[in-house]
Amino acid sequence: MYYLPLIWAAILRKPTRAVLTLLSVMVAFTLFGLMVGMNATFDTVAAKARADRIFTWPRFGGDGVPVAVARQVAAIPGVKAVTALNFLPGYVQDPKNQAFMLMVDKDVASVFGDYGVAPEQWNLVWKDRTGIVMSRMQAARWHKKVGDTFTMISKQVKRADGKNSWDFKLLAIVDDIPQAGNGFIFGNYDYIDKAKPVADQGKVNEVDLLADDPANASAVAARIDQAFANSATPMQTITEKLARSGNDFGGLDVKKITGGIALAGMFMVLFLTGNGIAESVRERFAEFATLKTIGFTDRAVATMVVLEAALPCVVGAALGVGLAAILARQIPKLMPPGFGIPLPTMSPMVMLWAALSALVVAALSAALPVLWLKRMDIATALSGRA
Amino acid sequence: MLRQIFVVSAINFKSLRQRLWRSLVIVVGMACVIGVLLSMLSLTEGMLAAYMKTGDPGRAIVVSTGAQGEGNSNISRDKARLIMDAPGIAKAPDSSPLADAGINSGVPVIRVNGRPAYDTLRGFGPKGVMLRPEFHMVSGRMFRAGTRELIVGVLAKTQFRNMNVGDKVILPDGEWPIVGSYTTGDLLDGQLIGDTETVMKAIRRPAYNSVLVRLASPSSFAGFKRALTTNPALAVDPYLQSEWYKKISEGFSTFFKVIAYGIGIIMGVGALFGCFNTMYAAVAARAREIATLRAIGYDAFPVAVSVILEAIALAVAGALIGALFAWTLYDGVDGAFGNSVFKLTVSPTLIGTAILWAIGVALLGGLLPSVRAARRPVVEALRAT
Repeated sequence: MYYLPLIWAAILRKPTRAVLTLLSVMVAFTLFGLMVGMNATFDTVAAKARADRIFTWPRFGGDGVPVAVARQVAAIPGVKAVTALNFLPGYVQDPKNQAFMLMVDKDVASVFGDYGVAPEQWNLVWKDRTGIVMSRMQAARWHKKVGDTFTMISKQVKRADGKNSWDFKLLAIVDDIPQAGNGFIFGNYDYIDKAKPVADQGKVNEVDLLADDPANASAVAARIDQAFANSATPMQTITEKLARSGNDFGGLDVKKITGGIALAGMFMVLFLTGNGIAESVRERFAEFATLKTIGFTDRAVATMVVLEAALPCVVGAALGVGLAAILARQIPKLMPPGFGIPLPTMSPMVMLWAALSALVVAALSAALPVLWLKRMDIATALSGRA
Repeated sequence: MLRQIFVVSAINFKSLRQRLWRSLVIVVGMACVIGVLLSMLSLTEGMLAAYMKTGDPGRAIVVSTGAQGEGNSNISRDKARLIMDAPGIAKAPDSSPLADAGINSGVPVIRVNGRPAYDTLRGFGPKGVMLRPEFHMVSGRMFRAGTRELIVGVLAKTQFRNMNVGDKVILPDGEWPIVGSYTTGDLLDGQLIGDTETVMKAIRRPAYNSVLVRLASPSSFAGFKRALTTNPALAVDPYLQSEWYKKISEGFSTFFKVIAYGIGIIMGVGALFGCFNTMYAAVAARAREIATLRAIGYDAFPVAVSVILEAIALAVAGALIGALFAWTLYDGVDGAFGNSVFKLTVSPTLIGTAILWAIGVALLGGLLPSVRAARRPVVEALRAT
C-alpha cells in the first residue's frame, strides 16, 4: 500500500491510455467470462445429471410407439419407475416463436422429482386436463403468469376435431434447473392423447425411467436396447449421465471452442497491456533511476511495475466478468427462435479462473520492463540517454 | 489536396518502424478478432454451402403440409402416386415421370469421439440415381434393389465409426453390409443410402417421407405446385429443392451467425479500444512533425486522413493475418454438426467480410485521434517537448 500513491500517479500520467487499457481488458474478460461461464454451465449440467435416470425413444424415429412399451420397460429387471412422454412441438402466434411442451403422465413426479414441481402443483394439472406447469424462463419468454391461457399452434400433432391450436391454462410456475437450460413446460399426456384422432392415440414419443441403483444404469440401458432389438419397436436408450457428459453440442467440442476463443481474447489483451506497461516504464526511465538512487531496491521497483500492470488487469477482469453476468441474462432475448444454448454462469470457479488469468497477464506484461529496470545503468538513465 | 494526403501519409508510414510495437497492438488485436470470427464462421459457411449444393433448383421436393424436415414429413403410397402423375415433371427415357419417393430416417451411430449420435439413412427408389446426376460411385458397388445392403457417402467415415465398405450397420431386422461408397459433393456425402422399399420394410414405415421430382423446365414449377396444392386429396407442400434447403438451413445458420458475430463484436470492441490507444499515441508521438507540416501550409484535413489511413493499413494487415490463420487451420477440414457432415470453409467472401470489419474498426478507432491531430494548435505542438 505504501507504493499506491506512486502507482496511482504513474497510471494517471496518461489518463486516456489508462482508461482505454482498462476498457480493453474489461471487454476481453467479458468474453472470457461468457466462454468459461459456458463451460461452467456444461460442467454443472453434467454434474447434476441424475446417475439413475435413463431415456429411451424409438430407435428409428417415426410417430411414436404404443404406450405398452412403457409397461414393458417397467417390467425389465432393475427398473424402478417409468414415465411415458409425448412431445407437443409448435409455435405461439407466429412460426418464428417455436415452443415445445412435454406431455407427461402421473409417474412423472417420481422420475423427474428434481424438476421442482411440488406434488400439489402436479395435482392441479391432473385435475384440470388443460393445465400446464412452466419454468420461470418459459413463463418470462411467453409473458405468462399463473391463471393465464397459453395457446400453441401445432402442425405436427393432428387433432381429432381438425383444429391445430391447443389451449392450455398456466397453473403453476416453478424455478428453472440447470439440466433444462432453456426452461420447460409440462402438460397433461391424457389431454393431448384423447384429443388426437383415434388412430394416433395411445402412443408415446419417449419413455424415461429410473434404475433402482445408479451403478446399474448403464446395464439397465443396455438391457432395454436388447429387449426391444428384435421387436416391432426397437428402442435407443441412453443414460442421462452419458447424454449430459462430454461438453458435446451436436458433435462440437464446446470446451475446445470456448477455450480457444477465451485464449485469443487473452492474447489480444496481453499484447496490449504488455505494450502499455513497457511504454509507461520506458517514458519514466529517469524517474526509476532516481528511485533507485535514493535507495529503492530492485525488488521494490519491480513490485511497483507489477502492481501498475496488475491494477488495470484485475479491475478490468472484475468489471468484465460482471458485464458477462449481465450479458448472459440477455442472451435468450438475442437467440433466434427455436434454438437454445446453455446460458453461461459466473460460478466461483469462473471468477477464480478470471482472477488467475488477470494475474498471469499482468505478470507476463511486467516481466520484460522489470528486467530492463533491474539491468539498467543508473547513470545513463539519469542522464536521459537510455 | 490528394497530393498533401499522399505526402503526409508517406511520412507516416516511413516513421512506422519507430512505433513498431505500439502499431503491432492494432495488428495483433485485429488478427485475434478476425482469426476467431472466421474460424467460427467457417462452420456456418461450410454447412450452408453443403445445404445449398444439395438443393438443385431444377428439382422439386414434396413434403407433407407443415413439415419442418424430411424426417417429420409423411407421404403415403397413394399420395406418392398422385404426386408423380402431376404435370410439370420431366420424363425418363421410358417416358415415365422422373420422380422418386424417398425415405429419410435417423440411424444410431457412434461418432469418432465415441459419443452416440445419429446419421441420416436415405432410401433411393428406381429413379433415385437418375434424378441425381451429381451421384457417382467411388468404390465397391451399388446396392441391389430388394436386398438388405447399404452404400455410404465418402465423408461419413470422417465423423462416424464403422462407415467403410465392408462394415455393417445395425437395422431392426439385422446387420446390413455396406457394399459401396459414393460421392455427390453435397450433404449426401455424409449419409447412408439403401433401397427405399427394403429400408421401409426394415424400419417398419408404412409411408414415404418425401417425393423428389426433376422439373420439365424451370417454368413448370408453378403448374406443378398448383396441381398439388389444389388437390384436396393431398395436403402436401411442394418446394423447389433449392428453396427447401434454404428453408431448413435458416434456423441453424442464423443461430451460428448470431453467436459468431456476437463474439466477433465483443472482441472487435476490445480491439477498437486498443486501436484508439495506439492511434492517440501515434498522434502524440508525431505532434511536432504534424505541427511542422501545418506550419508550412498543409491543411488539417490531410493530416486527419493520414491518421485514419495508417489505422486502416494496420488493421487490414492484422485482418489478413487472422484470415490466413483461420484459412490454414480450417479451410477444407472435415466438420460436422448434428447429423450433417461437410467441409469447413473460409471462402473469399468471408475474407472480404474480415477486411470490411478491419476497415470499420480502423475508421472508428482512428477518427477521434485524427481529429485531435488535426485540431491541435500548431504553436502549442511545436513548443511541446
